[in-house]
Amino acid sequence: MSDFGGMEDLLQDFLQEAHDLLSDVDNKLVDLEKMPDDRGLLNDIFRGFHTVKGGAGFLNATELVTLCHLTENLFDRLRNGELELTPELMDVIMAATKGVRDMFGELGQMVQPQPADPGVIAALQGALNGELPGVASPAVVEQQPAVEASPVSGMVSDEPDWAALHAAVTGQQSVAQGELITKAETEAAVAPIQATIAATAVTTGAGQSAPSPFGRRATDRPGGQPSAARRSEERGRENTIRVDTSRLDQVLNLSGEIGLTKNRLTSLRADILAGKNDSETLHALDQAVSQLDLLVSDLQNSVMKTRMQPIGRLFQKYPRIARDLARQLGKDVELVLAGEETEVDKTMIEDLADPLIHLIRNAVDHGVEMPEERQAAGKPQKSLVRLEARQEGDHIVLIIADDGKGMSAERIRAKAVEKGLISEEEANTLDERQSLNLIFLPGFSTKSQISDVSGRGVGMDVVKTNIQKLNGSIEIRSEPGKGSVFIISLPLTLAILPVLLVLLGDQPFALPLSLVREILPIEQQRIQEVGGKETLVVRGEVLPVISLARLLGWPLERPPEYGVFMQTAERSFILGVDSFAGRDDAVIKSLEDFRPRGVAGVTTLSNGQIVLILDMKELLADLGQHISIGSSVKALDFA
Amino acid sequence: MAADPKMKFLVVDDFSTMRRIVRNLLKELGFTNVDEAEDGAIALQKLQGGGFEFVVTDWNMPNMDGLTLLQTIRATPNLKHLPVLMITAEAKKENIIAAAQAGASGYIVKPFTAGTLSEKLNKIFEKMGQA
Repeated sequence: MSDFGGMEDLLQDFLQEAHDLLSDVDNKLVDLEKMPDDRGLLNDIFRGFHTVKGGAGFLNATELVTLCHLTENLFDRLRNGELELTPELMDVIMAATKGVRDMFGELGQMVQPQPADPGVIAALQGALNGELPGVASPAVVEQQPAVEASPVSGMVSDEPDWAALHAAVTGQQSVAQGELITKAETEAAVAPIQATIAATAVTTGAGQSAPSPFGRRATDRPGGQPSAARRSEERGRENTIRVDTSRLDQVLNLSGEIGLTKNRLTSLRADILAGKNDSETLHALDQAVSQLDLLVSDLQNSVMKTRMQPIGRLFQKYPRIARDLARQLGKDVELVLAGEETEVDKTMIEDLADPLIHLIRNAVDHGVEMPEERQAAGKPQKSLVRLEARQEGDHIVLIIADDGKGMSAERIRAKAVEKGLISEEEANTLDERQSLNLIFLPGFSTKSQISDVSGRGVGMDVVKTNIQKLNGSIEIRSEPGKGSVFIISLPLTLAILPVLLVLLGDQPFALPLSLVREILPIEQQRIQEVGGKETLVVRGEVLPVISLARLLGWPLERPPEYGVFMQTAERSFILGVDSFAGRDDAVIKSLEDFRPRGVAGVTTLSNGQIVLILDMKELLADLGQHISIGSSVKALDFA
Repeated sequence: MAADPKMKFLVVDDFSTMRRIVRNLLKELGFTNVDEAEDGAIALQKLQGGGFEFVVTDWNMPNMDGLTLLQTIRATPNLKHLPVLMITAEAKKENIIAAAQAGASGYIVKPFTAGTLSEKLNKIFEKMGQA
């Protein structure tokens, strides 16, 4: 269902550009709080709303036009010094900005936005009429009658008669001469126009009160703010991408060269088939193949690069979120961004949005202290939360650091015991790092701890799971009194998966390398039976041994010779295999329609053999009873 | 002066979606020779390069706004004859007067259809024919 027949392309373009524009506005709003009189900022924000309004008009998005129009008028007054920016007014502006963002979300679902929250509209109009406390002097407001507050005309606009006005002001002179006119002439010309403006305003007013033609989404109407927010995030996925033309040119260039090399190979093949196999021909063949090798890997790289986007596009919206939350909690927090230009795969950027929001909220909510507390501790009142991205080799590292009170391993252990997540004895065996990792256990973050602002009842365990879905890992460092640091490490791309190839008999299988901690030989005499299950002690850790054959339901012909020490989100264990065939960078082909359980996809080896990539999580879920629950504590040890 | 379909337009707007809209509308009217500029300053550079016969410009833009662009065009001997159609989101009388005073050839309020644009363009062509 779409309200935008024939305009989908335009809508996509509009949304992409308008989203960027709004993020920019958001950041400028945060800056504006520090510099409320900055004319440049006021101007930029004004222009942001103005531009969105202009575009929205072409999409017939009346509600969006209305909201932007009111907000824009407010900024017009602010930049002209007719209104003063008060914290109350700032809240109205923030609410309006959120309204605009929500409407983008609705547009993203191809439906015309519902009218903005009447409270926000009323507050905006109130502010324009000087009704907010300490907002404006009434005298100023009176000069701007109702026309100001009325939205601009809809698609059937008929603006003032330009021709008549033009004739009047220019006195029928040719336009090109651009002759200036006197004030008296101008005034005379204005009179007929005013009538037209008034008429326009009335027409529009009537259009406003008429029921929205897009009322069919009764069931879809957001029930409350939280669900609206969630929906807007779910549909935030864009299926278009902006690519620097130079990158596309490179792809084109490389495909051209591959074409040339292919021609060379074709002609060499003809020669060889015709019996020409002297050393010169073979040398040429060797050269052509090596060249093709190089070109193909260059092409892969270039294509991957077209999917890379600066992470700054994601970061942009966080200062605003941090600011809103800090204000709600009565804290003074500044979110400092670094490394915004770091490029990350587009899909990954989208999947990182939620975990990062959670970590930032977490830092503002639980990480940093109240201003008084900070002062008492001899710290500056304002706390800094740093969000940084950088590339390290073939990994992207994201850091969320706060200068708050830090986490005490002691207290985290105590809490985990109290919640019954681990036993007293288990708690005593944990070192500092293992203790901090307890916060990633499902059920650790409680209702009482997650305040209504810090995020939809999602715990740190979900953050971790989401990061792991991206083949990444997360680590915590914390120093009581100084602050905490969360370090996320991610692969550059999801298209290529580093795998470990293991053998079961002659059959190779691929395991995601990110889950593999080490490889060790299994000596049968070292295997101990614990509670009827085979276990192996590795550096003090008791780990269950599960043979891959059993996981796959194959007959166990001989005891496994090698063990792969693996860690998934829930547990660590040793996977018994017959042998290894090395490691490889697998290009994953998904098996969308007939994917057997436990198989993540397939890849092809250099010799053309097809290999299944195993989904350990699914395989283990089917075999849950084989793995002792007690191992969950040890599972905390990774990250 | 009849509208020449090969007439070269310069569409000036900081919002690329809007440039695309205007470009599409012009195309609907048969004008396919269209170049774009992101703000007044860039527009001036392009205009100085020559070859343009018609300017369609937004009002509100960073660096150099549409009104300043218009004023500069009118004050530049080799450009002052160029027809300039102003596009704005406002139907405010002050704006209209300011545009007229600065020598705009026409004024069009967003949003508009190909029909409205065609009407405005034809009026301007008519005037140019008379001049």
